[in-house]
Amino acid sequence: MAPSLTRREALGGAAAALVLASCGGGDPPPATGPRPGSGAALLGSLLALERASFAAYGACLEVLRGEARAQVHAMRAQERGHAAGLERLITDLGGDPPPGRSAEEYQRTFPRLRTPADALRFTQDLEERQVRAYLEALTDLPDAELRRAAAGICGDEANHLATARVLQGLPAAEGPFVTGAL
Amino acid sequence: MAGRADSELLEDLLAREQRLLSAYEAALRRDAIEASLGETLRAHEREHVRALEGTLARAGRRNPRASVPSPDLTAALGDRDTFARYAMELEDTTVARYADAAANIRNPALRRPLGSIMACGSAHVVALKDALGIFLVN
Repeated sequence: MAPSLTRREALGGAAAALVLASCGGGDPPPATGPRPGSGAALLGSLLALERASFAAYGACLEVLRGEARAQVHAMRAQERGHAAGLERLITDLGGDPPPGRSAEEYQRTFPRLRTPADALRFTQDLEERQVRAYLEALTDLPDAELRRAAAGICGDEANHLATARVLQGLPAAEGPFVTGAL
Repeated sequence: MAGRADSELLEDLLAREQRLLSAYEAALRRDAIEASLGETLRAHEREHVRALEGTLARAGRRNPRASVPSPDLTAALGDRDTFARYAMELEDTTVARYADAAANIRNPALRRPLGSIMACGSAHVVALKDALGIFLVN
């Protein structure tokens, strides 16, 4: 671990990047069915990210207690709902949702979470990446109905991100534009 | 909604942002919101208004006229909890309009920035929930 990294960068940023590289981008897009440019492959990437986050929050729950645990538990339940919604959208486009990974496979990619503070930093970093992914999807998805679904989930992820920040004693919003400005 | 011109969508969002800005300004004047929180939310709304006005100006549109403060706002200024609930509802409604606009706006370059303001609105709801001491996750 490079000594110039901050603790958060080392724990959250690098770990979340590892999670996404190994669980998101590495998962294959739907193999057959949807026409090229339908958005199914992009939805498959978002689905992989949701599944990785669901698994990651399972690890977070092992070290969290009380109020923070209850909030992350609720986030985790929503991630499961998002994943189910994305699976339906991919199927509706004629695709097969990517298979995902076992809990053990996900677990191997996570950092060691020793304290509640570790878990909340990891949660914040995962949510920042999810918000960014859904905002990018808003630009790239070809159909307004798919974009509406992505925007709805993005609103939920923004709620999670703000919650993770508040639980750490930070302001809910870091600034007026979460990852981009007009 | 899908058939509406982009500028109409932006004008609708601007009107809502102006309403939020007016609400936080009034709440700060009347001590209906904790000062630090109110100043942060007001500053964000100012930036949203400025960004939307600039985008509309570049499209050659005039800004919509500010509306008269609603009787609901006046009633909500009586105490901090009542105002927080009023502002939460206003923010929630605005977030939903941004989600719709980000999906339907024709100019793809505007979708992400509108989404980023929507995400900020979602964070405002969390801040207001925190002020009320209620569960943060939707």
